Amino acid sequence: MRATLETINQMQADGVIGKYAIGEAVGATFYLEPAATLDVDIFVTLPTSPGSKLLSLAPIYDYLMVRSFKVEQEHVVIGDWPVQFLPPSNDLEREALTEAVETEVEGVKTWVMTAEHLVAIALNTARPKDHARILQFLEQNVVNADKLKLIFLRHGLLPKWKNFEGKYLDKDANGQKQQQ
Amino acid sequence: MAKNSNNSKQARRKRLASLSFSEKVRILAKLRDRSKAIAASRRRLAQAADKAAQQ
Repeated sequence: MRATLETINQMQADGVIGKYAIGEAVGATFYLEPAATLDVDIFVTLPTSPGSKLLSLAPIYDYLMVRSFKVEQEHVVIGDWPVQFLPPSNDLEREALTEAVETEVEGVKTWVMTAEHLVAIALNTARPKDHARILQFLEQNVVNADKLKLIFLRHGLLPKWKNFEGKYLDKDANGQKQQQ
Repeated sequence: MAKNSNNSKQARRKRLASLSFSEKVRILAKLRDRSKAIAASRRRLAQAADKAAQQ
Protein backbone atom coordinates (compact mmCIF):
# COMPACT_ATOMS: atom_id res chain seq x y z
CA MET A 1 0.00 0.00 0.00
CA ARG A 2 2.96 2.29 0.61
CA ALA A 3 3.84 2.46 -3.11
CA THR A 4 0.17 2.93 -3.97
CA LEU A 5 -0.26 5.92 -1.69
CA GLU A 6 3.08 7.45 -2.63
CA THR A 7 2.00 7.43 -6.29
CA ILE A 8 -1.40 8.93 -5.46
CA ASN A 9 0.26 11.63 -3.34
CA GLN A 10 2.60 12.37 -6.25
CA MET A 11 -0.42 12.70 -8.56
CA GLN A 12 -1.81 15.22 -6.10
CA ALA A 13 1.49 17.11 -5.95
CA ASP A 14 1.57 17.15 -9.78
CA GLY A 15 -1.95 18.62 -9.90
CA VAL A 16 -3.55 15.62 -11.63
CA ILE A 17 -5.96 15.19 -8.73
CA GLY A 18 -7.10 17.49 -5.96
CA LYS A 19 -8.09 16.37 -2.50
CA TYR A 20 -8.64 12.65 -2.12
CA ALA A 21 -9.90 10.24 0.51
CA ILE A 22 -9.96 6.47 0.89
CA GLY A 23 -13.52 5.18 1.13
CA GLU A 24 -15.47 1.90 1.06
CA ALA A 25 -13.88 -1.28 2.51
CA VAL A 26 -10.31 -0.02 2.93
CA GLY A 27 -11.59 3.23 4.46
CA ALA A 28 -13.77 1.22 6.86
CA THR A 29 -10.73 -0.80 7.90
CA PHE A 30 -9.32 2.37 9.47
CA TYR A 31 -12.08 2.00 12.11
CA LEU A 32 -12.95 -1.72 12.03
CA GLU A 33 -11.35 -5.12 11.79
CA PRO A 34 -9.99 -5.86 8.30
CA ALA A 35 -12.50 -7.37 5.86
CA ALA A 36 -11.50 -8.91 2.54
CA THR A 37 -11.55 -6.58 -0.43
CA LEU A 38 -9.94 -6.74 -3.84
CA ASP A 39 -9.44 -3.05 -4.51
CA VAL A 40 -8.96 0.42 -3.07
CA ASP A 41 -11.61 3.05 -3.74
CA ILE A 42 -10.21 6.54 -3.87
CA PHE A 43 -12.72 9.39 -3.92
CA VAL A 44 -11.06 12.26 -5.65
CA THR A 45 -11.67 15.84 -6.69
CA LEU A 46 -10.63 16.53 -10.24
CA PRO A 47 -9.27 19.85 -11.40
CA THR A 48 -11.46 21.29 -14.18
CA SER A 49 -9.85 22.87 -17.19
CA PRO A 50 -10.42 26.64 -17.54
CA GLY A 51 -13.83 27.44 -19.04
CA SER A 52 -15.01 23.86 -18.71
CA LYS A 53 -17.36 22.31 -16.18
CA LEU A 54 -16.78 18.81 -17.50
CA LEU A 55 -15.09 16.38 -15.16
CA SER A 56 -13.06 13.64 -16.73
CA LEU A 57 -10.93 10.82 -15.38
CA ALA A 58 -8.87 10.88 -18.58
CA PRO A 59 -6.01 12.97 -17.09
CA ILE A 60 -5.62 10.35 -14.33
CA TYR A 61 -5.43 7.47 -16.81
CA ASP A 62 -3.12 9.45 -19.14
CA TYR A 63 -0.78 10.26 -16.25
CA LEU A 64 -0.64 6.66 -15.04
CA MET A 65 -0.43 4.98 -18.45
CA VAL A 66 2.52 7.17 -19.47
CA ARG A 67 4.21 5.81 -16.34
CA SER A 68 3.40 2.22 -17.40
CA PHE A 69 0.74 1.45 -14.80
CA LYS A 70 -1.60 -1.29 -15.96
CA VAL A 71 -5.31 -0.61 -16.46
CA GLU A 72 -7.64 -3.50 -15.56
CA GLN A 73 -11.25 -2.64 -16.42
CA GLU A 74 -12.19 0.27 -14.13
CA HIS A 75 -9.05 -0.11 -12.02
CA VAL A 76 -5.46 0.98 -12.36
CA VAL A 77 -2.96 -1.30 -10.65
CA ILE A 78 -0.72 0.91 -8.53
CA GLY A 79 1.84 -0.87 -6.40
CA ASP A 80 0.13 -4.16 -5.62
CA TRP A 81 -3.39 -2.74 -5.36
CA PRO A 82 -6.04 -2.25 -8.04
CA VAL A 83 -7.24 1.32 -7.48
CA GLN A 84 -10.54 2.80 -8.58
CA PHE A 85 -10.73 6.58 -8.77
CA LEU A 86 -14.21 7.90 -8.07
CA PRO A 87 -15.20 11.53 -8.45
CA PRO A 88 -17.88 12.34 -5.85
CA SER A 89 -21.33 11.83 -7.38
CA ASN A 90 -23.41 13.78 -4.86
CA ASP A 91 -23.22 16.34 -2.02
CA LEU A 92 -22.77 13.60 0.59
CA GLU A 93 -19.65 12.27 -1.12
CA ARG A 94 -18.34 15.81 -1.67
CA GLU A 95 -18.79 16.52 2.05
CA ALA A 96 -17.12 13.20 2.96
CA LEU A 97 -14.14 14.19 0.85
CA THR A 98 -13.90 17.65 2.39
CA GLU A 99 -14.10 16.34 5.95
CA ALA A 100 -11.79 13.33 5.52
CA VAL A 101 -9.27 12.77 8.30
CA GLU A 102 -5.55 12.76 7.79
CA THR A 103 -3.63 9.63 8.79
CA GLU A 104 -0.59 7.58 7.81
CA VAL A 105 -0.07 4.15 6.30
CA GLU A 106 3.45 2.78 6.64
CA GLY A 107 4.74 6.32 7.12
CA VAL A 108 2.92 7.78 4.11
CA LYS A 109 0.39 10.57 4.65
CA THR A 110 -3.13 9.88 3.43
CA TRP A 111 -6.78 10.72 4.08
CA VAL A 112 -9.69 8.50 5.13
CA MET A 113 -13.39 9.37 5.25
CA THR A 114 -14.87 9.77 8.72
CA ALA A 115 -16.71 6.77 10.19
CA GLU A 116 -19.99 8.71 10.03
CA HIS A 117 -19.57 9.53 6.35
CA LEU A 118 -18.65 5.93 5.53
CA VAL A 119 -21.86 4.81 7.26
CA ALA A 120 -23.96 7.46 5.48
CA ILE A 121 -22.51 6.54 2.07
CA ALA A 122 -23.07 2.83 2.79
CA LEU A 123 -26.67 3.59 3.77
CA ASN A 124 -27.15 5.54 0.56
CA THR A 125 -25.54 2.87 -1.63
CA ALA A 126 -27.55 0.15 0.15
CA ARG A 127 -26.06 -3.05 -1.27
CA PRO A 128 -26.14 -6.04 1.14
CA LYS A 129 -22.40 -5.62 1.81
CA ASP A 130 -23.01 -1.94 2.67
CA HIS A 131 -25.67 -2.90 5.21
CA ALA A 132 -23.32 -5.49 6.71
CA ARG A 133 -20.65 -2.79 7.03
CA ILE A 134 -23.05 -0.41 8.79
CA LEU A 135 -23.82 -3.14 11.31
CA GLN A 136 -20.09 -3.63 11.91
CA PHE A 137 -19.70 0.11 12.58
CA LEU A 138 -22.59 0.02 15.05
CA GLU A 139 -21.34 -3.13 16.79
CA GLN A 140 -17.87 -1.70 17.22
CA ASN A 141 -19.37 1.54 18.55
CA VAL A 142 -17.12 3.77 16.46
CA VAL A 143 -19.69 6.26 15.18
CA ASN A 144 -20.83 9.44 16.85
CA ALA A 145 -24.63 9.14 16.83
CA ASP A 146 -25.25 12.92 16.91
CA LYS A 147 -22.85 13.58 14.06
CA LEU A 148 -24.39 10.73 12.09
CA LYS A 149 -27.93 12.05 12.56
CA LEU A 150 -26.88 15.50 11.34
CA ILE A 151 -25.39 13.96 8.20
CA PHE A 152 -28.62 11.99 7.62
CA LEU A 153 -30.62 15.21 8.05
CA ARG A 154 -28.43 17.25 5.71
CA HIS A 155 -28.58 14.66 2.97
CA GLY A 156 -32.16 13.42 3.27
CA LEU A 157 -31.18 9.97 4.53
CA LEU A 158 -33.50 9.74 7.54
CA PRO A 159 -36.18 7.66 5.74
CA LYS A 160 -33.51 5.18 4.63
CA TRP A 161 -32.15 5.07 8.18
CA LYS A 162 -35.63 4.38 9.63
CA ASN A 163 -35.95 1.53 7.15
CA PHE A 164 -32.56 0.19 8.11
CA GLU A 165 -33.40 0.38 11.83
CA GLY A 166 -36.68 -1.46 11.25
CA LYS A 167 -35.05 -4.15 9.17
CA TYR A 168 -31.83 -4.79 11.08
CA LEU A 169 -32.10 -3.23 14.53
CA ASP A 170 -35.69 -4.17 15.47
CA LYS A 171 -36.65 -0.53 15.92
CA ASP A 172 -39.98 1.07 15.05
CA ALA A 173 -40.52 4.29 13.06
CA ASN A 174 -39.74 6.35 16.18
CA GLY A 175 -36.40 4.63 16.65
CA GLN A 176 -37.67 2.71 19.72
CA LYS A 177 -36.70 -0.91 20.28
CA GLN A 178 -39.66 -3.13 19.39
CA GLN A 179 -41.11 -5.49 21.98
CA GLN A 180 -40.48 -9.16 21.21
CA MET B 1 -20.48 -22.95 24.91
CA ALA B 2 -22.01 -20.86 22.10
CA LYS B 3 -21.87 -17.77 24.34
CA ASN B 4 -18.17 -18.36 25.02
CA SER B 5 -17.52 -18.73 21.32
CA ASN B 6 -19.39 -15.45 20.60
CA ASN B 7 -17.45 -13.67 23.31
CA SER B 8 -14.10 -14.85 22.00
CA LYS B 9 -15.10 -13.92 18.44
CA GLN B 10 -16.12 -10.47 19.65
CA ALA B 11 -12.84 -10.09 21.55
CA ARG B 12 -10.86 -11.14 18.48
CA ARG B 13 -12.70 -8.59 16.33
CA LYS B 14 -12.03 -5.88 18.88
CA ARG B 15 -8.36 -6.80 19.00
CA LEU B 16 -8.12 -6.69 15.20
CA ALA B 17 -9.94 -3.35 15.07
CA SER B 18 -7.50 -1.88 17.58
CA LEU B 19 -4.44 -2.61 15.39
CA SER B 20 -2.80 0.32 13.63
CA PHE B 21 -4.08 1.21 10.16
CA SER B 22 -0.72 0.08 8.68
CA GLU B 23 -1.03 -3.35 10.32
CA LYS B 24 -4.64 -3.69 9.19
CA VAL B 25 -3.72 -2.74 5.63
CA ARG B 26 -1.06 -5.47 5.63
CA ILE B 27 -3.78 -7.96 6.69
CA LEU B 28 -6.01 -6.63 3.88
CA ALA B 29 -3.24 -7.37 1.36
CA LYS B 30 -2.96 -10.95 2.66
CA LEU B 31 -6.76 -11.42 2.53
CA ARG B 32 -6.80 -10.02 -1.02
CA ASP B 33 -4.05 -12.41 -2.16
CA ARG B 34 -5.85 -15.35 -0.57
CA SER B 35 -9.14 -14.38 -2.26
CA LYS B 36 -7.38 -14.13 -5.62
CA ALA B 37 -5.70 -17.51 -5.12
CA ILE B 38 -9.03 -19.15 -4.24
CA ALA B 39 -10.70 -17.56 -7.30
CA ALA B 40 -7.87 -18.75 -9.57
CA SER B 41 -8.08 -22.27 -8.13
CA ARG B 42 -11.85 -22.34 -8.71
CA ARG B 43 -11.34 -21.22 -12.31
CA ARG B 44 -8.75 -23.99 -12.86
CA LEU B 45 -11.09 -26.60 -11.38
CA ALA B 46 -13.99 -25.40 -13.54
CA GLN B 47 -11.80 -25.50 -16.65
CA ALA B 48 -10.60 -29.00 -15.79
CA ALA B 49 -14.20 -30.13 -15.25
CA ASP B 50 -15.22 -28.63 -18.63
CA LYS B 51 -12.32 -30.35 -20.34
CA ALA B 52 -13.17 -33.68 -18.73
CA ALA B 53 -16.82 -33.33 -19.76
CA GLN B 54 -15.81 -32.67 -23.36
CA GLN B 55 -13.59 -35.78 -23.55
